Amino acid sequence: MARVSIDPVTRIEGHLRIDVEVDGGAVQKAWASCTMWRGIETILRGRDPREGWVFAQRFCGVCTTVHAMASVRAVEDALQLEIPANAQYIRNLILIGHALHDHVVHFYHLSALDWVDITTIPKADPARAASIADGISIWPGNSHRSLGEVQNKVKGLLASGQLGIFSHGYWGHPAMHLSPEVNLILFAHYLQAIEFQRKSCQVVAILGGKTPHIQNLAVGGVMNAINLNSLATMNMDRLETLRSLFQELIPFVQQAYFVDACLLAASYPEWFRYGRGVANYLAVPDLPKDAKATQFDLPGGVIVDGNLASLRPIQNWRDEAIRGAVAEDLTHAWYVGAGAQQPWKGQTDPDYTDFEADGKYTWVKAPRYNGHPMQVGPLANVLVGYQSGHALTRKWTDDALQKVASLQGPKLRAEDLQSTMGRYLARAIRSAMLSDLALQHLQLLTTNILKGDDTTYNPPQFPQQQIAGLGLHEAPRGSLSHWVVIDKGAFSNYQAVVPTTWNASPRDQKGVPGPYESSLLANPVADPAKPLEVLRTVHSFDPCMACACHTLDASGREIAQVKVL
Amino acid sequence: MNTSTGGHARISVLGIGNVLLGDDGFGPLAIETFRCNYECGSNVEILDLGTPGLDIAPYLYGADLAVIADAVHAGQKPGTLCIYSEADLLAQRAQLRLTGHHPAMQESLANLRLTGHAPSEVIIIGIVPESCEFGSGISPSVLNASSVAADHIARLLMERAVACWRRHTPTKPNFWWLGSNSSLCMNSQSPKAL
Repeated sequence: MARVSIDPVTRIEGHLRIDVEVDGGAVQKAWASCTMWRGIETILRGRDPREGWVFAQRFCGVCTTVHAMASVRAVEDALQLEIPANAQYIRNLILIGHALHDHVVHFYHLSALDWVDITTIPKADPARAASIADGISIWPGNSHRSLGEVQNKVKGLLASGQLGIFSHGYWGHPAMHLSPEVNLILFAHYLQAIEFQRKSCQVVAILGGKTPHIQNLAVGGVMNAINLNSLATMNMDRLETLRSLFQELIPFVQQAYFVDACLLAASYPEWFRYGRGVANYLAVPDLPKDAKATQFDLPGGVIVDGNLASLRPIQNWRDEAIRGAVAEDLTHAWYVGAGAQQPWKGQTDPDYTDFEADGKYTWVKAPRYNGHPMQVGPLANVLVGYQSGHALTRKWTDDALQKVASLQGPKLRAEDLQSTMGRYLARAIRSAMLSDLALQHLQLLTTNILKGDDTTYNPPQFPQQQIAGLGLHEAPRGSLSHWVVIDKGAFSNYQAVVPTTWNASPRDQKGVPGPYESSLLANPVADPAKPLEVLRTVHSFDPCMACACHTLDASGREIAQVKVL
Repeated sequence: MNTSTGGHARISVLGIGNVLLGDDGFGPLAIETFRCNYECGSNVEILDLGTPGLDIAPYLYGADLAVIADAVHAGQKPGTLCIYSEADLLAQRAQLRLTGHHPAMQESLANLRLTGHAPSEVIIIGIVPESCEFGSGISPSVLNASSVAADHIARLLMERAVACWRRHTPTKPNFWWLGSNSSLCMNSQSPKAL
């Protein structure tokens, strides 16, 4: 039996530690531990609810907009304040711009190198690679010449002996088995994704006034002035700029990223058998289509036991199916207390004990939905959307499944996506679908403005009595909820239940593990000294611990450390 | 993000760090001080990036010069200002370790280099923090260093013939995260130092 401790797991930020026991070449037991704490919620207590979002968007440097959005929605919910349709659409476009950016960066820059062995690229035949790529996609970035240029860059990098950031890869690992040509194609797109990343920031900058921290939100709507006759405001020119930016971004998502995810899925069919984990799924409704937020382009709902037919919809943000169902269990987390707390009554008092596999072992609380652990993220979003009959989700899911089969991959149904590879594919499906929705919501905004509606803001009024609100947002990593209590115009409690809290959840009082922990069971591990397979499954969730458990490591730890005990 | 610079060199002055984590907020503090004490041409983009991870890449893309203010763990006395080149960063000389986003900066620079869009020159102005505890405010030694850092940023720019001049009357800085002395904070507690 080998005990393997990976700390940290995230390639960029630390704070997530995974411990696994490996026997007979597979994981037998797993623990997910978040090793840092910062109690972000405490800074919001006593503050003016109108400014909460400005602080909330500093919880995490990567997902700034999502916390800003959840925060204003929580306050609006507490006030039962309706916001103008224009404000909904502008927020939706920010959501989409951010999500496309985030998903593409995750696929290429944060996880592709778990699957793509760049050291084989010098052996590739660029002409053959170009012909493979041409056969599966109309993406124009696959020419023989451009692939040859990428190959030369990689040759130069390898010849220099200075692999730099690429020196940490598990090159030559037996679980890596793409052909040199496919490795070349995927790495070429890895480099092209840098251009995509830059352009997608411009979308958020135009709408939000600035990136990475948007400036245009307000409790009650957005601060974008709309005036078709003014050069300085949201006008037809600005709307056209947005449209052409999206039109530049969409081909990369639909012709490069989406196709690459299908290619990866077809090439690693065994990864549809691993990593299922917690098969309960939660997605919250988002992308409202009207001012009152009665209809949504991302349907919400809950699926249990991996059975799509069990779908119970969450109709809107007022639905008791979400408001009354969430609690956070402290039994195995480094906080005072045990058992479950409803977030509006949640406490965050630290009680550190060191890592105790049978006791408290993480800074992440264990959120539960009616007592059950839930998986959140693009897979939950896609399964709920598919089962709800959302047309674009169905279209892109069916396209993906067909594409995977046509690339000599496995023949799959939507429910077969419940796996490590399924999470990768679902993220690409969601991105392709959101690309189409970007143009639709831009059209909704344009049409509404042309009808003569230029309102973007309804001023809030704060009552003296205590009120509570819930702000929901389907963020790139999954369902995000901010739970606020407001007393005499100031926050008296603030709890954020973030996507990674759901997924990196520890065991609860009944000993039931969270999604990361259970997804690792039976994962193969060919070489405990190089636990690549464990990383693949954990990375499939797109872990980001910054807001789940808080703080940057100031102690100067090693960047990555793999210990075999 | 600037898209046009009128033919001049593209300069990025970037503050990195989490303003909610005490001295980790040095980067945003330093560039806000710089913005208030100095005026630059439109080819100089001054941005508080917070803790961007890999999302720093778009702000380094194609720059002629990127000056980055951040907290560093260099084994020196708190409040010490340190200057590093990109080579220092890559070699991790002098126990240099920027806060949590250090590996992402290396990774972003390496990716940009492969695509041919890396900045021509990268200079890091680091402060050795006293405390990066959550909500601890800025330490006096780090606060004092911010105007020195701002002057140094200006000198780096002037040495490279980038239009940058001291304001006759400095504008009022907006350290919104530090307490009640700003327009954004209406009822928050006062900061530890200021």
